[in-house]
Amino acid sequence: MRKSLEGDQLAYANLLRETARLLRPFLSKRLSFESEIDDLLQEILISIHKARHTYDGKRPYKPWVYAIAKFRLQDYLRAHYADQLRHSVELSELENILHEDVTESTISYESISGEIQKLPEKQAAILQLMHEEGYTAKEVAAKLGMNESAVKVAAHRAYKVLRKKLEQS
Amino acid sequence: MNDINQLVEMLATDASPVRPAPSAFMLSFKLMGAAAAYLAVSLAISGMRPDLIEKLHSPWFAAEIALLILIFASTSLSVALLGFPDLHQNPGATYAPAAVFLVFLAVIFFAWIADTPPAPLPMHSFQCTLGIMMVSILPAMWTFYALRQYASTHHRLAGSIALLSSFSVGALWLRLHELNDSVIHLIQWHYLPMLGIGLLGIGLGKVLLKW
Repeated sequence: MRKSLEGDQLAYANLLRETARLLRPFLSKRLSFESEIDDLLQEILISIHKARHTYDGKRPYKPWVYAIAKFRLQDYLRAHYADQLRHSVELSELENILHEDVTESTISYESISGEIQKLPEKQAAILQLMHEEGYTAKEVAAKLGMNESAVKVAAHRAYKVLRKKLEQS
Repeated sequence: MNDINQLVEMLATDASPVRPAPSAFMLSFKLMGAAAAYLAVSLAISGMRPDLIEKLHSPWFAAEIALLILIFASTSLSVALLGFPDLHQNPGATYAPAAVFLVFLAVIFFAWIADTPPAPLPMHSFQCTLGIMMVSILPAMWTFYALRQYASTHHRLAGSIALLSSFSVGALWLRLHELNDSVIHLIQWHYLPMLGIGLLGIGLGKVLLKW
């Protein structure tokens, strides 16, 4: 690190590569998806770059790096859980949906197929299977490797979006 | 993995020589020096309480002033350490203000018990809080400015301690300036608002010390 602070680009590149190697297992234990790990690792490396003036070479390097990594990980997890909360469904709402027969709808699939294609891929696929091909929620769940409740929730969300769009138009 | 390699190459190309930031101790000395000079100028302009020398012979007043100075010194050091991602690998000193605050609270409590008959309440009330705030704004601004040059990974705590440090300057100034010894008034309008401001610093730190 001392060399890299002096502007040695090769030493700096090696240091960052070693740091990435060091941090990958640390992040793998805490995150499930490889893409998440890569994204966060990049963010941590950028943070290390931004904060490199706060390391003077007189203290051990690892505690400094891990402090930054933990800080970015906490930030990431906080944002991740906040996002999940925003998109969560109220339990009471869920109870209502689970009893609904989501395969029956007063809107014909053909009339709104254009709007359906604009939905997220999974939701569009669920609606297509249910309303164009006539599968039940249970069958769709088995086909897509999801559970039945998740299919119903996804369908319900898609209906909500479609309803809003139809009301606007 | 390719993305990581590309990023590493990019960051390495961008890596011009960097001068390491001054150590936490140097930063805290700078903060303390600037605040001491500012306090001296403020007191020179506003004037000291006329009975200051006499009051310094009272053990509770002397202890209160000494502890306010200690709070200021410990929070200044803590703020400087909090500027570093790894707390300059000195967590003990970072959390030292908590211990000083506890001793300060104990001293105020005993001063309150010893205040018999109680000193008369002054005619004013919130003006003291306002006065402390006015004097503390400048130290708060330069402390936050200094912190923004670093990379705090504890920005909420750093914001809180930074405001406490600045407000200890204001509290010290008012205690050396104002002719008032009512402990109840001190608790109500000097020190409780100071703690409230410390809590406000949590939010301020979150916003201002993001990097």
